[in-house]
Order: sequence, then structure tokens, then C-alpha cells
Amino acid sequence: MFHSIRQGSCAISIMASVLATCIGQSPAYASTLSDVQKRGVLNCGVNPALPGFSTKSASGEWSGFDVDFCKAVAAAIFSDASKVSYVPLTATARFDALQKGSIDILSRNSTWTLEREGALGLLFAGVTYHDGQSFMVVRKPEVTSALELNGAKICVQAATTSQRNLADFFKTNSMQYQEVIVQDAAEAMLAITAARCDVFTADQSALYAERLNLTGQKDVIILPDVISKEPLGPATRSDDTGWFNIIKWVNFALINAEELGITQATADAAIQSKRPDVLRFVGADGALGRSIGLDEKWAINAVRAVGNYGEIFARNVGVKSRLAIPRGLNELWSTGGILFAPPLQ
Amino acid sequence: MHVKAYSGRKKLNLRAAVAFGLFSLANGSLAFAQAPTPFAAQETMDIGDEPGRISTEEVVIEDGPYKRQLVSFRSSEPAGTIVIHTSERFLYLVLGNNRALRYGIGVGRDGFQWSGLVKVTRKAEWPDWTPPPEMIARQPYLPRFMAGGPGNPMGARAHYLGSTVYRIHGTNQPETIGHAVSSGCFRLANGDVIDLYSRVAVGAKVIIRHAATL
Repeated sequence: MFHSIRQGSCAISIMASVLATCIGQSPAYASTLSDVQKRGVLNCGVNPALPGFSTKSASGEWSGFDVDFCKAVAAAIFSDASKVSYVPLTATARFDALQKGSIDILSRNSTWTLEREGALGLLFAGVTYHDGQSFMVVRKPEVTSALELNGAKICVQAATTSQRNLADFFKTNSMQYQEVIVQDAAEAMLAITAARCDVFTADQSALYAERLNLTGQKDVIILPDVISKEPLGPATRSDDTGWFNIIKWVNFALINAEELGITQATADAAIQSKRPDVLRFVGADGALGRSIGLDEKWAINAVRAVGNYGEIFARNVGVKSRLAIPRGLNELWSTGGILFAPPLQ
Repeated sequence: MHVKAYSGRKKLNLRAAVAFGLFSLANGSLAFAQAPTPFAAQETMDIGDEPGRISTEEVVIEDGPYKRQLVSFRSSEPAGTIVIHTSERFLYLVLGNNRALRYGIGVGRDGFQWSGLVKVTRKAEWPDWTPPPEMIARQPYLPRFMAGGPGNPMGARAHYLGSTVYRIHGTNQPETIGHAVSSGCFRLANGDVIDLYSRVAVGAKVIIRHAATL
């Protein structure tokens, strides 16, 4: 409602903001979008360096799975994916930065948990990547399941949730293992090479990244088993549901685009489509974008900038990247995964 | 669709110690489909006759995303079902318990991709190749017949799909795995198609999924 009054015009926008304040909404409400539009740039909190997810090149260009989400949001708002200011944040600083307003969204491989929404005043806008703890197995090509790891020597990082999950999993399944504590992943790779352990357990995305460092080893398997849930996604402050909706629906739009067959390359062709659901997506039929304060081309602009979900995944962490992570749970619900987005209607 | 019959000749491939540099007929042609062979003319296979056929020199995809690997795959299809995702260039062999063996494949080039539900109606080792007339019409330089063997684009094994001209087969050009180059067949590296062949039964359901079109 509020956003539909405001669309396009700065003067009306200010009036509407005043109105919003008068009718008792907190100043933060509905201000993030207008702040971002006035500023002309989206402040996006990202990981300083995580291969595949967020990295900065020598020339200062940011790229990665989480970075592409920032670009998609900027494209949906400004029709221009370059209007992003990336704010690299450590794990400890990330939620503070969001609460204080120094970033508009946090797109930094953060796990969606109850505590973070309940105690920190954040809202997770959805899941962009279903991660989970898994096992990398070396020198045992016959192993096909984590249930066959009885008696294995397993490297695990000290004082992590992985260590606890590992203990729980083996206890639950009445199996024994020999724990080999390492300080970090690099030490784990050394331990594997030296045969101090044959298995390394960590989040699956990290295992694929570390596997790149094991080029000399044959028979390296990353098991499809996942023993914990690590749903990663973008977060916003909880006091601005209008903004939260925008972030949430940009994510849904990228997933729906893949389901509809709309790609970066076919974005122009999509406008000529005869299919009603494709036409709704490109904004030619109806004005869904305006209902969340954006223009009617918001969704197709996001896809034009970074591609659909499948393209983003493939380019950064999937088949077209060095990580080559299988889609797994991150396949669409219709093709063997659990990725599901409500319809753009 | 034209059906060409020929008497399948049994290829005893002690030449299975394959030289994959042998792109004897390649000359840029990347399109392979095979005419269906009527069952009357089936190759007879005698496993006992074939010592040494599965050579350690058979090419498999050894690294990267197209390497054969166990992946998480949720499916209500029974174990043994093949699910092909054309746009991803993957073939999944459903194993049950939310997992599948995933193989990298080459698929039909634009205009030659298809989707559907078929069954494996026949399996053959080192199949002969008889390009169907429509393929000859498009690519007149192709041979009219080629006996099965290491230089044959059909590769080491073929799984015949329903009554179509399409196959899941091997290849003499493993570098085309991951690409859209065929006339609608699905190709695997020879070592991988041999592995698949050993796990798939005649009668297995094959689901071919293609990305939505605009």
C-alpha cells in the first residue's frame, strides 16, 4: 500500500514517509528502501574471502554466490547490478553491522537459526544455500555411506559444532571412531596426506573447497550424507517488513526463474513468451513489482543481471566453477532437491 | 521414422584396449544416433566369450563435475531408474535412500533435445552404428555403416531407449561429455557407460527431463 503510493516520485516519497511516521510506524519501517534509493547504492555485507561465495579480485571486483545475491537485489531496485557497496565482515562483526544499519542486507553464508531471529532482531529472508555437515573420505573407494565409517580415524576441527555433531552421529548409530583434532582445515589436509586420518568432517561446501587442495590424492569421495542442517541465507533487520519482503521475493524470483526456464540469455525472449506465468514474471502482465515497492521489471532485471538460481549456482560453486559442488538439496523441488519458492502471483 | 535392419554382428573386442586417439571418423561430426535394430537381428552376447573386454585403459571422466559420483538425490522412483537432466548434462541412476550415482553426459544439440518417459528395451556391447537416413541427409559425409569397436562413435555399450532411435551409449570422443553436440542420444565416456551397463537392467525406467521452455 505504502509503496504503491510512493512509486517513482521523490516528492511523494517524502510525503509518504511523513505519513508513515504520523500513523505510528517506527521510523525504521519502510525506510530502508527509500534510504537505499536516495543513497543510490545498496550496502551489502559479505564474507571477506570465501572461495565460491564471496571473493574480491586483485582489481577490486567482487564475485561469488553471496555477492551475486547482492547484485540481484540491486538490479531489482535500480535496474543496475553495479550499484552495490560491498562491506566485508568477519563472523563476529556481521550481525552488529546489520543491527546498526551500516549494511542493508547481510549476504554472508549465515545459518538461519531461531536464536538469531529471536535474540538478535534479525529476519532471514529465505534459504539460498542448503549446507550441512558431511564427510570427505580418502583411500576408501568402497565407502558409500557415513554408516560405513565405523572405526575410522576422523579429523575434525577443535571447538566447533562439527565436533559435537560428529560425536552425536556416531553415538546415535552405535559406532566407534578415532577422533583426530585439528586446528583448521589446512592442518586437516596435511593430516589426510600423512594418513593420520582418512576422513575429514566439516560443512559440505567447505569440504569441496578443501578438496581442491588434495590434487595428489586419488579416491577422494565426499559422501552425499548430511548429518546437520545449515540453511544459509540473506538476513535483514526485523523492524522493516517491507524491505524484508523485497529481499525475500528477489530470492523467490531467482528460484522461480529457473523453474520457468528463464535464463540470463533468454531474458529478452521471455518478454515475447505466450505463457502467463512467464509474462507475470517479466512484468508484462500485472504489476506485482509495485506491490513490494519496485517497478514491474524488478524480477526480470535481477535475472538479466546475474541469471536464475541454477545459473548463479553453476557459475560460482557448481559445474562451471572449480568447486564443482553437486546441487544436491539445492536442486529444485521438481528435480530431486528441496528448493521451493511460492509463485509470483 | 525409417527403420533400417541389419544383422548385428558380434564384435569380440579384444581390441578393447582402446586407443582413444582413434577418431577415425570424427572429421568434425559430433552427431551420433543409431538406427534401431529390430529385435530379430539382435546381437547375441556371450559374456564368457569376452575376456579382457573391460579394459583398465577404458576412459572414465576422472575429475570435475562430470566424474561419476554418489550424490544426494531425492526421488520417489524405484532404485534402478535412470533420470536424465538434459540441461545439466547429468544422468542419475537412482539408488534409493535419497541418493543416486551421477554420471556426466553429452546431450543433443539445440533442436535435438527431448524429454519423456521410456524404458531400456535392449542393451548391447560394442554396438554397430548405422546412421539413420535423416542423419545422412544432414551429414552426407557420415558412413552408411560402421562395425562396433573402439573407433566407433557409439562407444563401448549402448542402452536402447523404447522404440526410439535414441540410445544411452559410449563415445570415442570423451571430451564431448558436458556438451550439447549429439543428434539426441546421451553419451558417456566408455568406462562410465560400461559401469552404467553393469548396473542397469533391461526394462529399467528412463525419465528424461528438460528445462522448461519459454
